Amino acid sequence: MYSAHYHLLLNHLPIIGTIIGLGLFLVSLSANKDDLKQASLGVFSFIALLAIPAYMSGNAAQEFFRPTPEVSVDLIQTHQGAALLALVFMEITGAFALIGLWQFSRAGKESDAGRPAGWIVAAVLLFSIVTFILMAITGNTGGEIRHPEVIAGNEAPSSVGATGARFVQIVQYYVVEYSNWIWPILEDLHFIGLILILGAIGVLNLRILGFLKQLPVAPLHRFIPWGIAGVFINVITGILFFIGMPPFYADNPDFQLKMVAIVIAGTNLLLFYCTSAFRPLARLGPGDDAPLSAKFIAASSLLLWIAIVFLGRYIPSFEVYHH
Amino acid sequence: MSFFLIMKAVEESGLSVWIRDSPSIFAYWFILSFHALGMGMAVGASVVIDFRILGVARDLPLSPLKGLYRIIWAGFWIQVVSGLLLLIAYPTKALTNPDFYIKLVLIGVAIAVMKMIQKRVFSDSSLTEPAMMLQGRSLAVWSLVLWLGVVTAGRLLAYTFTFINYSG
Repeated sequence: MYSAHYHLLLNHLPIIGTIIGLGLFLVSLSANKDDLKQASLGVFSFIALLAIPAYMSGNAAQEFFRPTPEVSVDLIQTHQGAALLALVFMEITGAFALIGLWQFSRAGKESDAGRPAGWIVAAVLLFSIVTFILMAITGNTGGEIRHPEVIAGNEAPSSVGATGARFVQIVQYYVVEYSNWIWPILEDLHFIGLILILGAIGVLNLRILGFLKQLPVAPLHRFIPWGIAGVFINVITGILFFIGMPPFYADNPDFQLKMVAIVIAGTNLLLFYCTSAFRPLARLGPGDDAPLSAKFIAASSLLLWIAIVFLGRYIPSFEVYHH
Repeated sequence: MSFFLIMKAVEESGLSVWIRDSPSIFAYWFILSFHALGMGMAVGASVVIDFRILGVARDLPLSPLKGLYRIIWAGFWIQVVSGLLLLIAYPTKALTNPDFYIKLVLIGVAIAVMKMIQKRVFSDSSLTEPAMMLQGRSLAVWSLVLWLGVVTAGRLLAYTFTFINYSG
């Protein structure tokens, strides 16, 4: 299987997922159904994770088509531009959705516990609508690459895609060429994100595993948004690294494995620590032992995030052996 | 210049050559990965303590958090061992870079601040929680700033060196 195949496997999921998520979200808002709202926030968060490898596998597909003269470079760049804009808005939607989901899973004292804040709901609505439009343009421009017969006679290429393509170039310029300091600063931020993830999610996992047992679990859950912030920082800085030097990453097996691990670890975070599945755990007081199933989830979460750190540090080594 | 001769001797030692040049996946990149993990443990656990002192997760009882010091120390010793191995691999690269000394000083001060937090906030069991938070507030801010400095100085080591090894 070529890396280009991953793009075919993944590229429809963010588009279909955004439609499903937005549909569910609109129904949940008009019917005022909390469980539906929770489901749609879950869909948005999960799709935000899947959109990362979907975007990145596009570069492998692009390499695949490079020697093919009947495939238009212009169309590919327009598609990539739309895809990057869609990805950025998808990640912002996903971050807000995950915070909203986390608020659902809260079991605090206040009367508003267990429901997402109004401004989070508004932000998810706004960003998901923009994402939906951008995803539609991405799908449309992507389809045109291999199916130029659908392009009407003198139809202009998507202006949104063209803007996005310009954005890709600007980002590339600022990340790689503008100054020697941008890349190290982004790396620094990537490490700060790592610390937030390991600190916030790690301390909760350790408590569930039985370490620091004197701590009640519910208030530790308050650290999760800091972990989500870490994930968001690292997704954004990671995307910037990728745009800066796509050939360094796109075909690197270690990097591909890291992306898979991120989707799994992110899903673990979303399902077990940001849904009502967490509520029974939130009842654990000082000295209480967590059930074995929760310990299994905590251990897998901890190991996955550590594996992601290791896979990240090994990325350049695979590049060295590649050449 | 005996200083440079020592660096040369270290660089030519079997261990140094192995860490640098071995194709084994357990050589350089493995040590570097542990160095990132140790950072996550020491700094991550410190940040949780600092954040709690500064008022994040107020419902969380503060005193049991002293158990996190075990994670900080485990992380610290992982950093000492992995850091020494990385230094053995590239002594000239590190020791000719002023940033390396800045990083060492910042680590020393950051660890000292964590010990002061341990002493002033966690050792006196007669303190109420608000008193503990008040005692630790400025130290927690310093701790965050210092760890940020340590991580930044460490990250910059990869971009600011002048010589990669003895021969240039």
